[in-house]
Amino acid sequence: MNSNSFSPARIWTLAAATVTQLVRMKIMAFLVVFCVIVVAAGFAFPVMNPEQQLKLLKDVSFGALQIFSVVIAIVSTALLLPRDLEDRTLYTILSKPVPRYEYLLGKLIGVLLLIGAGLVLMDIAFSAVLWLRQSLVLVQSVAALKQEGVATPEAIAQLNEFVGKQGLTWNIHLGVLAIFLKASVIAALSLMISCFASSTLFTVVISLLVTIIGHGQGLIREYFFSEGMNQIIKKLGSAMLAILTPDLGVFDVLDNVINGEIVSAFSAGVMIGTAALYVTGYVLVSHLLFVEKEL
Amino acid sequence: MKRRLQAIAVLLLLGAVKLPVEEAATGHLREVKLLTKPISISLRESLGQASFAASLGGLRSLVASITYLRAYREWENINWAKVDSLFQITTRLQPTYFNYWDEASWHMAFNAASSYLYNQEINPMLRGKLYEEHVQRGIEILKEGLLFLPDEPRLWNSLAEIYERRVHNPKKAAECYLEVFRISHNDRYSRFAGYQLAQASDRESWVKGYELLKTAYDKKQRPPSVIDQLKNLEERLNIPPLKRIPDARPQMEIQHGEVGPSR
Repeated sequence: MNSNSFSPARIWTLAAATVTQLVRMKIMAFLVVFCVIVVAAGFAFPVMNPEQQLKLLKDVSFGALQIFSVVIAIVSTALLLPRDLEDRTLYTILSKPVPRYEYLLGKLIGVLLLIGAGLVLMDIAFSAVLWLRQSLVLVQSVAALKQEGVATPEAIAQLNEFVGKQGLTWNIHLGVLAIFLKASVIAALSLMISCFASSTLFTVVISLLVTIIGHGQGLIREYFFSEGMNQIIKKLGSAMLAILTPDLGVFDVLDNVINGEIVSAFSAGVMIGTAALYVTGYVLVSHLLFVEKEL
Repeated sequence: MKRRLQAIAVLLLLGAVKLPVEEAATGHLREVKLLTKPISISLRESLGQASFAASLGGLRSLVASITYLRAYREWENINWAKVDSLFQITTRLQPTYFNYWDEASWHMAFNAASSYLYNQEINPMLRGKLYEEHVQRGIEILKEGLLFLPDEPRLWNSLAEIYERRVHNPKKAAECYLEVFRISHNDRYSRFAGYQLAQASDRESWVKGYELLKTAYDKKQRPPSVIDQLKNLEERLNIPPLKRIPDARPQMEIQHGEVGPSR
């Protein structure tokens, strides 16, 4: 086989090896922590109203999912290249007829597979607890209405509607998809930074910084470019921000998904398309930087 | 070196390409109410650095839940000023979640207002003033929430209840109940508006209230309260005997301490 020809099988082998490598780093221990958090959040604060109890469970669970995905995306990607250099695995791989871009793609896909699998497992655990909590809340609320003597069909239907809106729906899983897309962009960004970074710490810090800036692009523009600033500085500054950081706020649909807003197929497509643009761009830049990197 | 220059060129190109894509994506997601506007920088001082950073990092809903829980604890401690300020932060973080506006206003217009009104340690003159101020605060909160959620029937209903039970302004309560009816198409709220207008002091309101209650009656919605109020309005408006409803005035049993008409 020509070493320069694109080989999905080689990329898959590298991705599978990356997953194994990351699993050995015991990254998935976070799953256990997540399950404890979800169960605790699911059964805490029983005195609040039913809708609020379910919202709190979703807030805490989605918060944990986001933290997991962002941390894993940054840290695992930042660790990969230096670890392979340290173990000399990189030399072994690249001495074989493996193009550098395939190595990079394999590593990125491996990280994304791990994040995706982790999110799926956590989504299953979260959905199970949410469903259980939803059923319990409904039973308790109907019993309370009966006790007060106001369990009219109208009141029960209204209760069902409120709880159903905050309960388990297919829409919730699209919220998890948005988390995955954001993590994919951050992982691609970290990969790009690690291609020119001098150390793992540098990659982690810079990636984290860009991630924070990416979440608040609009706000930072408002702060730095308030009235009175020179027009040229304003344009230069906003151009720099737009070029250097991805607008991660595009994927922050969770707040409204939690409130019951529906994610249409088109909206999901918009998010997927935006993420694909970032990932493609950052992978291309990573390739150009990595090709020239002296190993 | 050549590749590095190429990398910089691609990064610049990506920056130029992604800008309109980001604008379009954000615009679409805001239009379908999946994205809310970024939080104001003025919230930073109220939230604290860590919470502000967390809310920027996509954990806005979680931070809102935490400030809500803090408000809940302050409610248990009967610290109304703190309850109000924490709910202000919560509602600013998630202005499209109706429950936060509803609960914030309930705390002010009902809990805080009553707490001050019945506090024997406060001067009676001041008690009345504090009661009115907190009821007004509850109204302000709901009106602010309705700027974000103009078609949320539960907020209109809460506003109607405050006008009905705390301010005793039946005309405004009726306006709000009619808004609930406009949004939900639930006839019950049209009747509620009718009851309120029947309690107003001007003829114009009675006429409108009579029309609403007569419509309910004609639709076979005839609980005793509808018949009773129609009878009252027929007398007040001097409706000709032939046009009056044939039902006898029901025996209404109003429980001691109950406010407003029986439903």
